[in-house]
Amino acid sequence: MTPNPLALIAEITHRCPLHCVYCSNPVQMVAKQAELATEEWVRVLQEVSRLGVLHVHLTGGEPAARADLEELIAGARKAGLYTNLITSGLGISETRLPKLVDAGLDHIQLSFQDSRDGPAQWIAGAKGHTYKIVLAEIIRQLPLAFTVNLVVHRQNLDHIEEMIEFIEQLQPERIEIAHTQYYGWALRNREYLVPTPEQLDRCTRAAEDAQTRLAGKTRIDYVVPDYYARYPKACMGGWGRRTLLIDPSGRALPCHAAGVIPDIQFDSVREHSLEHIWQESAAFKMFRGHDWMPEPCKSCDRKEQDFGGCRCQAFLVTGDATATDPVCSLSPDHHLIEIARAAAAAAEQPAWSYRTSVE
Amino acid sequence: MAAPLPDSQPRLAPGCRWATHAEKPVVLYPEGMIRVQGTGQNILELCDGERTIQQIVATLAEKYAASEPDKIMDDVCSFLEGLRNKRIVDY
Ligand code: SF4
Ligand code: SF4
Repeated sequence: MTPNPLALIAEITHRCPLHCVYCSNPVQMVAKQAELATEEWVRVLQEVSRLGVLHVHLTGGEPAARADLEELIAGARKAGLYTNLITSGLGISETRLPKLVDAGLDHIQLSFQDSRDGPAQWIAGAKGHTYKIVLAEIIRQLPLAFTVNLVVHRQNLDHIEEMIEFIEQLQPERIEIAHTQYYGWALRNREYLVPTPEQLDRCTRAAEDAQTRLAGKTRIDYVVPDYYARYPKACMGGWGRRTLLIDPSGRALPCHAAGVIPDIQFDSVREHSLEHIWQESAAFKMFRGHDWMPEPCKSCDRKEQDFGGCRCQAFLVTGDATATDPVCSLSPDHHLIEIARAAAAAAEQPAWSYRTSVE
Repeated sequence: MAAPLPDSQPRLAPGCRWATHAEKPVVLYPEGMIRVQGTGQNILELCDGERTIQQIVATLAEKYAASEPDKIMDDVCSFLEGLRNKRIVDY
């Protein structure tokens, strides 16, 4: 038997008022009419809790685009789950936030695009920066854990120190400095987003300085992006090992991006129990263990640490979901990553694809 | 930042709370959970935002009939400092 999952990522809607160029949502999004209903989500939350899940991460899209967010949070709390809301802040008014906290919200993760209004609007394709600052002040007065998430990339890394200082003023317990991951819309915009090696060094130094300076006050979470690492990360802690994601229409996936891999049938919570999906479904079994692995992974002593990296990235970059993750320096396809880095270094004025809307 | 002072009043940080997992007490926090047992559990249960470090140490010294309160003070402070760096405890 596979150990049961510990975390659920509940992608409750793909609707979002922003159009971030680094959005990792799938390019094919789920429309409102296909979304799971309130009762369906509440049932899912109870089921995953019985399976042993402790944390639910409510995300999207913008989760606040759902009018029943309060009910979903209450359902999660009633099921005994620790509830985290990953939000752009838009759609959460001053009067709505206390209701979410009363319903049982434990942690809010608010994303910022930049420290400056103009650039933030340019990246998000919409206004919102000044409201986020207002919301951060309200969050700080409520009894919940507060994390600020800052997505960094080539277009904003030249003022990373200023961005960290800006976020410090908001007094979160945690700052997550997240390098862009190239899925969905972000992959389309990759050549304008991949940082230069100099930017990366500077960012790592700034993050380490902040870690020392803010110890005990604000925790800094920072991971070197895998396009510049020697080995891949254990994506999602390994395929179908710890986490499951449910998309707005109820399809259960091992991660955000898995829907891009062709020829995998992802079962729906409308048709199967979560236990069946986790233990028995072909999709979750597909990349568990080592049998599927190619060389050099199969005989590599890191295979229990990173599980051969990300299957979606392998597919998106090499066209083969069973290949070694090309970000690995041992991968025979690693030159594709080197080419992408070089293309980014040569790219000029961005001609973005903004993430589109879905209704 | 520094270790707690004798009159600090430690408590769980915002958004961190007790729960039960597999019939054992745990503290849930944004990134995960910590299993708390034994001395750690005894210390954390006393961190209610009211009691001072001094009072917590005195309670523990009595409980364990220990002759070295200084040693308990050191252990309690370094335990809580570690948890504050993880943003699970405030004082
Ligand atoms: S990354 Fe931006 S566009 Fe994508 S879901 Fe989040 S806020 Fe919306
Ligand atoms: S060869 Fe495979 S298992 Fe080894 S480090 Fe690279 S991705 Fe990981």
